[in-house]
Amino acid sequence: MKRLKERYGEVLLFNIGAVVVGLILSACMLLFMKLNPIEVYSSAFLKIVTDKYTMGEVLVKSTPLVFTALAFAFTYKANLFNIGAQGQFYAGSIVAITLSLQLGAVLPTGLTILLVLVGSFLAGGIVGALIGFAKARFNANEFLVSMMSTYVVSAVMDYLLRTVLRETKGEYLQTDPIDAKAYLPSILPGTRVHLGTLLAILTAILVWVLLYKTPLGFRIRAVGSNATAAELAGIRSKRIYVIAFLISGGLAGMAGLTEINGVQHMLLQNFNSSIGSFGIGIAILANGHPLGILFASLLFGFMNIMGTTMGRMPGLNIPSSIIDLIEGIVMICVIISYFLRGYVHNRREKQRLRKAGAQK
Amino acid sequence: MTNILSRAIMMSTPLLLGSIAEVYAERTGMMVTAIEGIFLLGAWGGFVGTYITGSLAAGILLAIVCGTLMAALYGFITIHMKQQQIVTGTAINILAGGFCSFFQRVLFGIPTTPLQIDVLEPISIPLLSSIPVLGPMFFQQNLLTYFAYLVIPVSYFVLFKTSLGLTIRSTGENPEAVDVAGLNVNRIRFLTVLVAGAMGGLAGSFYTLGYLGMFTTGIIGGRGWIAFAICFLGNWNPKGAVVGTFVFGLAEAVAIYIQSMSNINIFPNELVIALPYILTIVLTVARSNFNVPAKLGVPYSKEN
Repeated sequence: MKRLKERYGEVLLFNIGAVVVGLILSACMLLFMKLNPIEVYSSAFLKIVTDKYTMGEVLVKSTPLVFTALAFAFTYKANLFNIGAQGQFYAGSIVAITLSLQLGAVLPTGLTILLVLVGSFLAGGIVGALIGFAKARFNANEFLVSMMSTYVVSAVMDYLLRTVLRETKGEYLQTDPIDAKAYLPSILPGTRVHLGTLLAILTAILVWVLLYKTPLGFRIRAVGSNATAAELAGIRSKRIYVIAFLISGGLAGMAGLTEINGVQHMLLQNFNSSIGSFGIGIAILANGHPLGILFASLLFGFMNIMGTTMGRMPGLNIPSSIIDLIEGIVMICVIISYFLRGYVHNRREKQRLRKAGAQK
Repeated sequence: MTNILSRAIMMSTPLLLGSIAEVYAERTGMMVTAIEGIFLLGAWGGFVGTYITGSLAAGILLAIVCGTLMAALYGFITIHMKQQQIVTGTAINILAGGFCSFFQRVLFGIPTTPLQIDVLEPISIPLLSSIPVLGPMFFQQNLLTYFAYLVIPVSYFVLFKTSLGLTIRSTGENPEAVDVAGLNVNRIRFLTVLVAGAMGGLAGSFYTLGYLGMFTTGIIGGRGWIAFAICFLGNWNPKGAVVGTFVFGLAEAVAIYIQSMSNINIFPNELVIALPYILTIVLTVARSNFNVPAKLGVPYSKEN
């Protein structure tokens, strides 16, 4: 037990170390713009922590990331790769906006939200399940199929935005705003933080319970660690592929609810176009652990707002795409830290063994 | 018609270079999942090199250097540090996107008009280009396309008829045997990934140097992944890659053609854009008998 705790501490230490190194390295990139990184970073940091609204924005940005990260982590536990969370999120968004536009003004808020929740989960889930089915039935490479599914779903979304879902003014590629009755209620006055944030936390806990405390979760992890052994133990791995992908896609689809009903209140072309890939980054940072994902999402949400804040600083001309640079560098540092942790761990084990040998 | 076919050959060029690069790397057991980022960096490097020096040769060179460096980072993390390939690739692709748009701003600020460069001119090969249909289709292309023609037989020959090719193939099938034969598995993998990176960078540069003449961060838009897919669908064989590339090049040329004919509205534009991606899914599902290199995606460590 003590050693387990030690290991958790070690993981935390290495991860935090990697993030700090990553932030420092990316700060140095500002030198190329002939800016003082310490000044820019600290003033951006201060601006965020002193302003309640901006602090709220961190939570708002983190919320959908929790879902896409959970989506990646879920199949990752079954040793499958769902790279298509972006597309499943779009599928969820399409259903969320359609339901909200049609029913939002008629039904009471609670009922609309519930319907949208189920609808967006199913929409993402169906896209996911199809990928899982292709894997189970045709032995198709799920990595490729899920990768390509995103492009297909976003083409479908563009088509719908240009035709049936287009705003009544017909000016931009976006839908009409939904009725205020269909909004996810705000939970922190003075910010845009909405009920979806709580939903994200709840979902992460549920996913943790599902993965680690239920028979289904056990089967999923068994297939992930050794599909042949699991098969011999009577677990039908093909069925697990479909179920894992269904739930994974559904989780990504739920981000459609939080983004449509909680933040944008309409569907726009290409919106939140990188939460899928950031979800992967977050899941890596958290090593696929659902509760770790909550914290990692918070970090990514924070970096995101940091990037936008820096981009808005007058006269500095920092592109807001610096977020991608920062997050890319941080992710590389985290991956390298996994290697270093393993290296340190191995060396320590070897020393322990050598000592034990010498005592005899 | 000839126009579309010649366009198809042109649009196949980067996919061909990219997928053959991928074939080589995957034959040694390395999926280069950073290929999308390598393409993007190649496109950016090609643009920057050409814009600053005014010479296309410098652009091509910088594209190759950029692609190789990106591949070196990828290879170092996945081969020497033995980290998961898909995960590392995702990180590198995000990094590449951020890197290009950030340094584009650092170098050029916010230009009032889009920065343009002159693209590679098509070169007509005397005699051959005057053959009806085939001439304009194959022999009025730019330099990179001719280079791709050269790559097809050479890559096939090296992979299947030389001892180097045998080593490469064995490294992906049975690395222990390669190791026992006294060769360094990880070095073979790393060098192959570097070569793949150089080719990928060159392939990416086609989009700026051979086609658009300008750079945007969305310029690759998943085409690196399509090259990645072609490698799978072509069964890890340069011959298969050629067929796959032409199909995708054709799909892309048709898409460009239909988009330019704005008065014809048989298909929604979006369907046409999604065509290559739908094609990939259909082909991946339809073909299940693959000759996957046995140790694809598995890091090699000596037991000691």
